[in-house]
Amino acid sequence: MNTSSRDSSTRNSTELIDRYLQAVRFWLPRTHRQDDLIAELGEDLRSQFEDKEEELGRGLERPEMAAILKRCGSPMMVAGRLGPQRHLIGPALFPIYEFVLKMVLLWILVPVFIFIVGPANLVEGGGNWPMAILKTFGDLWSGLFIAAGIITLVFAIIERTSAHLGTEIKWDPLKLPPVRKQDRKPSRLKAVCEFGFGCFGLVWLLLLPHYPFLILGPAAAFLKAGPMLHNFYLPFVLLSTAGLLRSGITLARPQWTWFPPLSELVNSALLLIVLHSMIQAITRSPSAYPFVVLQDAVRDSPRYFKLVAIVNVSILASVAFTWLGVCIAAIVQTWAFLRYLRKRISNREQIASLGAQ
Amino acid sequence: MANGTDNSELLENLKLELRRGCLIVAVLAQLRAEQYGYTLRKALADDGLAIDEGTLYPLLRRLETQGLLVSQWREEDKRNKRFYRLSPAGALILKQLLEEWESINASLNKILQEASL
Repeated sequence: MNTSSRDSSTRNSTELIDRYLQAVRFWLPRTHRQDDLIAELGEDLRSQFEDKEEELGRGLERPEMAAILKRCGSPMMVAGRLGPQRHLIGPALFPIYEFVLKMVLLWILVPVFIFIVGPANLVEGGGNWPMAILKTFGDLWSGLFIAAGIITLVFAIIERTSAHLGTEIKWDPLKLPPVRKQDRKPSRLKAVCEFGFGCFGLVWLLLLPHYPFLILGPAAAFLKAGPMLHNFYLPFVLLSTAGLLRSGITLARPQWTWFPPLSELVNSALLLIVLHSMIQAITRSPSAYPFVVLQDAVRDSPRYFKLVAIVNVSILASVAFTWLGVCIAAIVQTWAFLRYLRKRISNREQIASLGAQ
Repeated sequence: MANGTDNSELLENLKLELRRGCLIVAVLAQLRAEQYGYTLRKALADDGLAIDEGTLYPLLRRLETQGLLVSQWREEDKRNKRFYRLSPAGALILKQLLEEWESINASLNKILQEASL
């Protein structure tokens, strides 16, 4: 082999390896091992180049050198493999991290924003719904990011410190929770009770226009249903009938496991729409849509004015709290229905994979 | 088609897991005689256990930290090279690992023979 060509090849290879090592070094953490690792990798690469030269019986061309370096991998990838294993939260803590994240974000932060921050924004914005929703969503996003960041940081600190302290999660096999029943069928007793109460409720609702004391009690002597109750009477009758039908179907078709969670969710959604419309009507025009008004006989009696106002405010508060309760129920029912769907899909996949085997 | 890709990926992952433990034994066994990184890699590859730089050097560092290997930088052919060899503790561990390997191998053979009956 020509000496000058060999020298030129060596110069080229040294230059290329140095450039490669510099790029690897950039991605390696600056520890006492960095120089050591780079020197060893450099030595390995030089040996690979020499072996190839011996095999070919000549100095290497630049594309041949590049091919060897390319086979080793990109500098970033090589540094990733050479460096220490880096993760914020390791496999031991990750399930707890995931659980806490879900609990805080889904079960604390989202409900707080929907039921506290949202209404507060609505009041602050003077009843401007679109603006209140936009502002609440904006605040919710920032809140979610900040909370997720803080939780991640706390867990990352625990990960680092617990690794040094050598702490272990203490657990007792005897204290593990009992096995949960799989694939529960809709409870027949629950469906019977729902059907019974549904019948009773519907009859009570149908009797109300004729016997107002069923809802007003002794106050029926001087109070009667106002425009609000008249306007929303029919939707409540329809909802009640739908509920009765729902319990009937659950009783008659217990094998339709999808029906109870889905119908409960639909029922809650419809109830929310009705309650929301009621709240909207009364907040827009409180005097035009009272729940109850004075009987004609006592219409001009000032001693009852205050009473009728208190009754109307109390009913409004009950409607608002019902709305809040139905909102929470709807979230829980959505979650239950999604879990049901996920379980059904995974069961189908398991059956399909067993069939394929 | 997708199932085929999934299976080949799964096979690769399982092979990787299977190789991981074997590589440690192979490296310890090779280092009964002193070698530097590149010659060790070549020797392993020649015996059918190819291992890339990014896997071997961190493994050597780990084994050295665990006290199973000792190393020193030395000049050879006008170049500095890091030579590794098994430490006395490493020799003992290797002996125990090989016994374990023999036992696993015997168990596996027995299971496979029973399955083929």
